[in-house]
Amino acid sequence: MKRLVHAELIRARASRTVRVLAALAPVTCVLWAGLGVALMGLEGGMPAEDRVRNVYAMAQQAYVFTLLLGILGTAGEFRHQTITWRFLLTPDRGRVVNAKLAAYGIAGLAVGAVSALATVAAGALLLHLGGHPVMAPGVPGVLLGAVLSVTGYGLLGVGLGALIRNQTAAVAVALIWFMYADYLLTMLLPGLGRWLPTGAARALAGVSMENAELLPAWAGGPLFAAYVLAAVLAARLITLRRDIT
Amino acid sequence: MSAITATRLSKSFGTVPAVDDLSFTVEPGTVTAFLGPNGAGKTTTLRMLLGLVTPTSGAALIGGRPYRDLADPVCEVGAVLEAAAFHPGLTARTHLEILRTAAGLAADRVGHVLDQVDLTGAAGRRAGGFSLGMRQRLALATALLGDPAVLILDEPANGLDPAGAHWLRGFLRAYALQGRTVLVSTHVLTEIQQIADHVIIISEGRMVFTGPLASGSDLEELYLEATR
Repeated sequence: MKRLVHAELIRARASRTVRVLAALAPVTCVLWAGLGVALMGLEGGMPAEDRVRNVYAMAQQAYVFTLLLGILGTAGEFRHQTITWRFLLTPDRGRVVNAKLAAYGIAGLAVGAVSALATVAAGALLLHLGGHPVMAPGVPGVLLGAVLSVTGYGLLGVGLGALIRNQTAAVAVALIWFMYADYLLTMLLPGLGRWLPTGAARALAGVSMENAELLPAWAGGPLFAAYVLAAVLAARLITLRRDIT
Repeated sequence: MSAITATRLSKSFGTVPAVDDLSFTVEPGTVTAFLGPNGAGKTTTLRMLLGLVTPTSGAALIGGRPYRDLADPVCEVGAVLEAAAFHPGLTARTHLEILRTAAGLAADRVGHVLDQVDLTGAAGRRAGGFSLGMRQRLALATALLGDPAVLILDEPANGLDPAGAHWLRGFLRAYALQGRTVLVSTHVLTEIQQIADHVIIISEGRMVFTGPLASGSDLEELYLEATR
């Protein structure tokens, strides 16, 4: 298994797309953190400590990039038909997916950690320049939650890519689902929001969500992990068994 | 023991039978030509041998075991499949390095197989810019990574220039002379006739001819007769 994970990491490192996505993640987090600081004066009712925490919670915005990395790591192999070589080498297809989960878990953790560091650096500087308090209680927990949820989206991407196989469809489904559909559903059915993947990830990352009473962080993590497991299990039971033609 | 054994192999896609009750063996030390018209089921059969397509019924064995049960498949079987695909953004060397790492093979295997297929000069180029012939060479290099005892090739000469095709024939002949097994599907009868010891011809998923290829016999005549 170690060999397979190592091979996945070589593949990820060699790909230009992977490098670009990994580099965009911290940049995006910094922009969101900057926006958060700029809007601080406008949010009336929220306590200052919450607003400071929310600036650092922007480290979670790297999620879309690890999600894409995971999808490209699996569905991309079907798209370029390189999956044939992988399955010839490792006929136990479940092991190939497990190796991808491990590899994109490692990659996601790295992207999440770098994004969190960038968010902390930029957030602290901008808060200081804006004359706001730079620290608030609970910030380390928020950052840890953000790194974990960013990593989790990478794993979810691997599962979705294995389940949907068509790269364009997988990317479209994932972006629509996690950028829009979960929020729309939460608006329509406020009680449902906390049980959706986005609600679980936001709970884990300690970010609030409009119209939704979120689960505690310790429950958000396992719930998100359950979504990852469901996607991987569905892939193993349905699409991974299909003929490679 | 036969290197490859297909026993009553059948595969239907929906209600369309692609391979129908096909049985054959391929012996070590031979080049076996696997022939048939377009749509005869050659590619499906080869993919069933390689565990990529699940047979509807029957068994496909390599060295007595299903491909999926092989302990170290790349060291036992090398495969070049039709339209062999590579990530366009990765170099030939990286493609091979990924698979070498996954298989746990010695580090010098990548350079060795690149030399074998005469692709060392292009090893640092992205596969997206490769010609069809170069992709075929890279596919063959991939198949050779584990130095396998069995080679299964689907249209390997496709896109090779005359010198490349000539080289491939010599290579496969030498491979079989080492006591290894070569099963090759092709439409280029004049080329395969020069190196094949044995012929399997299928049509509409069924066996229509199997037997040794006697020197001096006309493979084209045999093929046209069998598939008429």
